[in-house]
This record gives sequence, C-alpha cells and structure tokens, in this order.
Amino acid sequence: MLKRGVMFLMKKSEQKKYDCEEIEKRVQAYLDNQVSEEEINLIEDHLSYCLPCDKKVEFEKKLKAIIKYKATEKEYPKSLEEELKKIIKSR
Amino acid sequence: MPTARQLEFESLIAPHLSSLYSTALRMTHNQNDAEDLVQDTLFKSFRAFDQYQKNTNFRAWAFRILVNTYITAYRKAIRQPQKVSYDDLEEFYLYKKLDESISLQETAKEDFLENFFEDDVKDALENLPYQFRLVVLLCDVEGFSYNEIANIIDAPLGTVMSRLYRGRKLLQRYLWSYAKKRGYVLDEKI
Repeated sequence: MLKRGVMFLMKKSEQKKYDCEEIEKRVQAYLDNQVSEEEINLIEDHLSYCLPCDKKVEFEKKLKAIIKYKATEKEYPKSLEEELKKIIKSR
Repeated sequence: MPTARQLEFESLIAPHLSSLYSTALRMTHNQNDAEDLVQDTLFKSFRAFDQYQKNTNFRAWAFRILVNTYITAYRKAIRQPQKVSYDDLEEFYLYKKLDESISLQETAKEDFLENFFEDDVKDALENLPYQFRLVVLLCDVEGFSYNEIANIIDAPLGTVMSRLYRGRKLLQRYLWSYAKKRGYVLDEKI
C-alpha cells in the first residue's frame, strides 16, 4: 500500500513539470497575466532551471514593453478637448 | 451651465482621449482621420451614455464604441483577411533570428530592441492586417485583458487569443525585416 502511495505521489510530481515546448505554448498568455496561479508556478519553476527558456521569455517581456512604449502617442490634438466640450453642450 | 450628466461624461472620458487617439491613429494611419474617428466616438458615446451602466468598465465601453465606429466607417476600405497560412509562424522568432545571425551578448540583444526607431515599431504595427493589429494594440499598448478585448471587438475568447498570438508573431517578422533594412543586423549568416 505504502509503495503504491509513494508511486502515486511520484507520478503526480512528475506530471507537474513543464518542458520547453509547454513554455513555448504558454509564453504569450503568461506575459499577459492570463494564466492560472498553478500555471504561473509551473512556468516559473521551469524558468528557474532552464536558462535558454528564461532568456527567451525575458526577451519577449522586454519586446512587449518596448512596443507599448514606442507605439503610444505622447501627445494628442488639443482640438479633441474642445470638440468634447462642444459635444456635451449640444444635448 | 453643464448638467451633472454632461459633467459626468466629460470626467469619465477625458482621461482616455489620449489612448483613444493613439489607437485611432494606428488604425487609420493618419492624423486627420484619427481625429475624425475620435470625434465620432465622442459623439456616439455621449449619445449612448444612458446605456452605460454605472461603475462598469467605462474605458472598455468607450473602446468598444471606437472599434465599432472604425469598422462602420472603414468597412469598404478594410480588406478581407488575407488567405495566408500563419501556421509556420514560430514562437520567439525575433530572438531566434538574432541568435542565429549574430553572436550578440544578452545585453546587446536588449539594446537591439531599444534601438528600434519609434517609427519602425509604429510602421510594423500599422502593416499588420487590421484584425490582428486591433488585438495587438488593445493588449500590448492599451493593456486590456483577453476578456475585455473579447467584449470590445465582440468576438469569442479563442478568436482573441489566436489573432493576438499570430499578430505578434507576424509583428516580429516585420521588425526583423526593418532591423535588416536599417542595418541593425550586419553579419547575418543565413
């Protein structure tokens, strides 16, 4: 009985590991904060010992931040504020 | 004197003028059209303000109107989605390309991203087919969640994810071609 219990536990802990392919599948949802707590732990566990994946994920994270920064308009036409005032007064 | 309702609408929408304009500009490609699109959005959202449920996500609500206004106005101009197979788009494309072509140190890979011109990033985004562009903008630039995006573009969650993931992969290809054109990558081996 005990042996079976240990086997079961081992099997369970073996299942709870992600390989590189699974990281690749989940990287985008992970960076978007759209994975469950359990998945976050599994992903971060893998990243803690797999340097190639960790580097790739860090690169993607940086890329996402760069896109946000560079594609955000720093200014907008002030005429829109005037237009907004006109619109709310029209009704 | 403006009414309470007018003031409420103004105070809710004013903080989002900048991001509405930013998204409009990426979608329409030029400042005049972007301004027109935001103006129409302001007009329509004020007219529909009675339908907005208090204390729900106003920002997503306003973006939903922006997207609808864009699609209605550009229906004819928006090309049908290209029948291209995106299956061969791989994950980590840009990273792998950099890895294959130049023996950069990790810091240099990060520098490589920093060095991209703002215009190149904007161009790359604007070249994406519009459905992909929209979800990439809403997620990466505006920071909406998948559920919010599904609501904004009125599509199932699975559609949002597949467009987003494909859009980003495509974007990485475009960025790579800009990098080569600009000479950021000099000694490509393949």
